[in-house]
Amino acid sequence: MEPILVVLAFSTLSAFMAPIGVLPLRTRQAVPSAWIGWANSLAAGFMLGTAYLLAETALVGHPVRAAIGGLLGIGYAYLSHLASGVGDVDLNRLEDVDPLYGYRILFVGGLHGAMEGLAIGLAMLESLPFGILVALALAVHNIPEAAVLGSVLRSAGLGVSRTAGLAVAANVGQVLFAVVAFAVVPAIPGLLPWALGFAAGGLTYLVLSELLPEAYDRAGPVSIGLVTSVATGFVVLLGGLAG
Amino acid sequence: MNSLPPLLQVFLYGLLTALATGLGAVPFAFVRAISPRALAYANALASGLMLGASFGLLSEGAEFGRVATLVGANLGVLFVLAAGRLLGDHDLQFGAIRGEDARKMALIVLVMTVHSVAEGVAIGTAFAGGTTLAIVITAAIAVHNIPEGLAISAVLRPRGASLAACAGWSIVSSLPQPLLAVPSYLFVESFQSVLPYGIGFAAGAMVFMVLVELLPDAFETGRRSVIALLVSIAMVAMVLFQQAL
Repeated sequence: MEPILVVLAFSTLSAFMAPIGVLPLRTRQAVPSAWIGWANSLAAGFMLGTAYLLAETALVGHPVRAAIGGLLGIGYAYLSHLASGVGDVDLNRLEDVDPLYGYRILFVGGLHGAMEGLAIGLAMLESLPFGILVALALAVHNIPEAAVLGSVLRSAGLGVSRTAGLAVAANVGQVLFAVVAFAVVPAIPGLLPWALGFAAGGLTYLVLSELLPEAYDRAGPVSIGLVTSVATGFVVLLGGLAG
Repeated sequence: MNSLPPLLQVFLYGLLTALATGLGAVPFAFVRAISPRALAYANALASGLMLGASFGLLSEGAEFGRVATLVGANLGVLFVLAAGRLLGDHDLQFGAIRGEDARKMALIVLVMTVHSVAEGVAIGTAFAGGTTLAIVITAAIAVHNIPEGLAISAVLRPRGASLAACAGWSIVSSLPQPLLAVPSYLFVESFQSVLPYGIGFAAGAMVFMVLVELLPDAFETGRRSVIALLVSIAMVAMVLFQQAL
């Protein structure tokens, strides 16, 4: 298969993980909110592991460019939060959902999708197995996101299958960013270490500002700390095998 | 120092790196009143520095073997979990401070002390490989100990420890460096084989300490965006700093 099709296939697969988060709606069982916290901390660990692998790759030979890229990624994520006013959205709510909350969740999701897509595309440039690992690791994040989005849509009266479809659609930005990053970054000489640093910094900032704070409130620091650190280590280990 | 017997040299170089840790308390000489929000940001600063240090350790350990490093890291997580529980069971007194603050202070000193063990082994094994390179490595460890002292002081100082106590505990946390440099210089081969486990252990302990103690505290009183910004920037700075050495 052509490498760019691999990028397309796996970033799409990652977007299609979202409906798993909608499944509990089908059985009409209430998901305990601690579960959403754990799912988000699992996603946080996978994202931190991914950021570690991207940064490790970026630092080889170009530590300063990677670090400046990292700061730019952090600054970009911070400013986009500031500008859009979604910096303090709770990503773990399944109850008391209203349309405004739904819009905010969509914006936040779009922001994540961009950073995640960039990470997938860049990792694919490094090697296809590494890119596949990153695509799968970041896919986990789409599940709790879809669970939250799904409960918003359901409370607005949508059916389960349509909710699942919209959860996939909400992640389309990720596919676009992955394919574009894979195609465009190598065309600009010397851009790669900057871009890798940018994605690593941005992902780290998103984990710290969005995923972890509310997860602590839902499930307590000990379980969140355990899930996050073990998940980080797992991705770092797999990265060694794939790299 | 070259006229001294080699064992004493190794010990003294290790001691120098330990003393350098005390310099991390210096910035807190200029900070006076510490509000709850400032405490949150100090926690965030310490978190970023510790995560950055763990990044360096993990990538160093990966050169020896990822599996061994990760096994060590998981042991480090368990260690902090167990130590946190044990310290919580006793009515701890840290100087004049008691209760939850004292527990947190004792835990960071403990975690950073344990993490110095791997650095002590690194110094000792470096000397076994030849003095010139070893002095470079020792200087590098000494310089990177300063932000580690800063991380410790950022936890101790806002909770009421004096400046001298901050410097003192920072140095104590690095004492395993001279103490372990000597045996690892003597038994370099056996120490080298456990080094990746030790490096992983140190990284795992620090990451878990950040995730379970420092960050939740910080998020309780500080603004999310500011904390995320502080942690991630401090982390980038620490990683770059270590790369430069």
